Amino acid sequence: MKRLLPVLWIVGVMGLAALAQSALNDYYQRVLAVIAINIMLAVSLNLTNGFSGDFSLGHAAFMAIGAYTSAILTLPARTKAIVLPDLPPWLGQVELPFLIAILIGCALAGLVAFLVGLPVLRLRGHYLSVATLGLMVIVQVVALNWQPITRGARGISGLPPLTTLLWAYGLMLVTVMVIWRIVHSSLGRAMMAVREDELAAACRGVRVFRTRLFAFVTGALFASAAGALWAHLITAITPSSFSFLLTFNVVAMVVIGGAGSVSGSVIGAVLMTLLPELLRRVETALAIGGQPLYGLSQIVIAVLMLLVMIFRPQGLMGRHELIQVLAGLSGARNKPSSAPAELAGEAQRVA
Amino acid sequence: MFQARSRLPVLPVIALTLALVVSACAAPPPAAQPAQQPAAPAAETIKIGALYGVTGGMSSIDAPGMNGMKLAAKQINAAGGVLGKQIELIAIDGKTDQTATTNAASEMINVHKVVAIGGLNDSTFALAAGPIAQKAGIPFVTAGATLPTLPEQIGDYFFMAPFGDDAQAYAIADYAIDDLGAKTAYMLVDQAYDFTTALAKFFKERFTGRGGTIVLEDIYKSGDTDFSAQIAKVKALDPQPDVLFISAVPSEAGLTTKQFREAGLTAPIISGDGFDTTLIAEVAGENADDVYYSTHAGLDNPDPKVQNFVKAYTEEYGRPPENAFAALGYDTLNLIADAIKRAGSTDPKAIRDALAATQGFNAVTGQISYASGQRKPDKSITIIKVQDGKYSFVKEIKP
Repeated sequence: MKRLLPVLWIVGVMGLAALAQSALNDYYQRVLAVIAINIMLAVSLNLTNGFSGDFSLGHAAFMAIGAYTSAILTLPARTKAIVLPDLPPWLGQVELPFLIAILIGCALAGLVAFLVGLPVLRLRGHYLSVATLGLMVIVQVVALNWQPITRGARGISGLPPLTTLLWAYGLMLVTVMVIWRIVHSSLGRAMMAVREDELAAACRGVRVFRTRLFAFVTGALFASAAGALWAHLITAITPSSFSFLLTFNVVAMVVIGGAGSVSGSVIGAVLMTLLPELLRRVETALAIGGQPLYGLSQIVIAVLMLLVMIFRPQGLMGRHELIQVLAGLSGARNKPSSAPAELAGEAQRVA
Repeated sequence: MFQARSRLPVLPVIALTLALVVSACAAPPPAAQPAQQPAAPAAETIKIGALYGVTGGMSSIDAPGMNGMKLAAKQINAAGGVLGKQIELIAIDGKTDQTATTNAASEMINVHKVVAIGGLNDSTFALAAGPIAQKAGIPFVTAGATLPTLPEQIGDYFFMAPFGDDAQAYAIADYAIDDLGAKTAYMLVDQAYDFTTALAKFFKERFTGRGGTIVLEDIYKSGDTDFSAQIAKVKALDPQPDVLFISAVPSEAGLTTKQFREAGLTAPIISGDGFDTTLIAEVAGENADDVYYSTHAGLDNPDPKVQNFVKAYTEEYGRPPENAFAALGYDTLNLIADAIKRAGSTDPKAIRDALAATQGFNAVTGQISYASGQRKPDKSITIIKVQDGKYSFVKEIKP
């Protein structure tokens, strides 16, 4: 049964995605696709921010790398000759399938994360957050000024709308399953041990720096894939698309869902995508004197975030997974989760 | 802390889920506010989308635009509507966010079944939302995005209500040559925006094409606050240029004016609609002298159609129109309504064809005509002069 579970998930989710793709109108499909992309972003950011304890603010940078790579590689050569005449000839001619373009974007983002991670991950806490924020600014400035490749501030528009629900939910499943496996492996235990107490973890034989770098690079890979999906959903990207606001939104999903819980990130992403859509309808419905209450949705979401932070600072799920909580509810007490020291021990035993 | 497995997490989850359900129920499916003042609620309305970034970075120009569109809808409905039906504006806030804007465009088309969409003052968002309307075969009229290549980039269902950047650059170049008697010009160009670089390119093309000389071309990047290096280079010029062309967005319009004037450079400063901001007077104060710019409308233009709009807007909202984008929003809806009337039908294809055939439509921001095959209007352009910190309408020109 346990081995069958992933298969059930794949069949179930992809079946629903296929059904939705054939039955729903474009608007609902679009919102569902945004949900899948946000889940990918939140779950992958959680790997660093929640599990290995490095509060990164650079997620938008990796999204931008994925989005631009995929945009340039999938744009028809004919269009490229017009909108990007200064591309190097070999790049101007290539026209790759979506999947290959996504994978190349992932590789690039992973490489950047690796190179940046080497110096940056020597920092901790606020220092690391600010350094990763710097990475985001650098990527934005490069996109703004590397005119022959990125068209600068004008951005690249008219991308082929390749992001279907099957693509979005397929890649979302891959992201969630891979990260779920990582988190529940010895590597994941090692990440959590590092998060709880770096010194203790190192003493028990966890290679602290490598573990943190692994989390950072893996998160970047999936962020890049999500960026590519987003680019081909919106079909127009500019450097300002990948700003701090976007990062902030993903960080909010992780924090609200519960840093350190995969299912928490999924819940956070779904809530933070659906709430604005639903509240937007409320703001036009609750018109006062003919004037819709624009801005209401942002305020309500901000207040909800405040409430969550005041009454449940660890996020909705805390560090638990939905399955545990449901099991707890039904009265079946699992054995208590391991304490940090135990985690390190466990990681060491397996390593 | 791991042992603390309380049941608490469930409560907030349930609470938020409830909140979701409640908000979903609170919103009736056609969420837009019905057209104001439904005198006799018609059985059937014509649904038109109004898409603007009312909140967020574009708010200062998109919110007036939205108000302008609503005013037009109210006036049309008070006069009996179009084809005997009332107009129902589906007004949605795109939040100056590409995801929210595209979601909103898709919601208008797929959920509310609008027959046309108007709005948006920035090409970044028009380029994201336009293709959705294009794919669905719904006409989209941008109220204020001036990138001249937009219609070709997006497709045959995309129309521009404003002039393109090429036209406004030509207009200010013509004004400099014909009215200011300029033969030489200095150019300062913001490299950070597509708009500023395009404006400079078209200005240079026209100015040199008509026999003028560009004596010096210099650059800066939006966000710069000190222009002394550029100013020093201008001061070293001998003879001094006849006009100073500054291609800037509103944030630098006031700063450059102030610093150039304080440095003792007295030649007229000219620019495009990036200078259409109260910041010139606010930042440069008494130094805001001898500044000319081309824009969509001068709100003190004595033309009755402009004054009627200003009066109606002031009555409706209790303040005069904030800027020309209010007038552009007003024009956009009137343009669509006019096309529906001429098409005699609410079929999006028929509306598109009628829009494309628009000739001599009398808008607040100038006459709109689409030359055959073009979806960017030939339109008159307004020149505004700033003197002693006061803005005044100079003339309308058609380049």
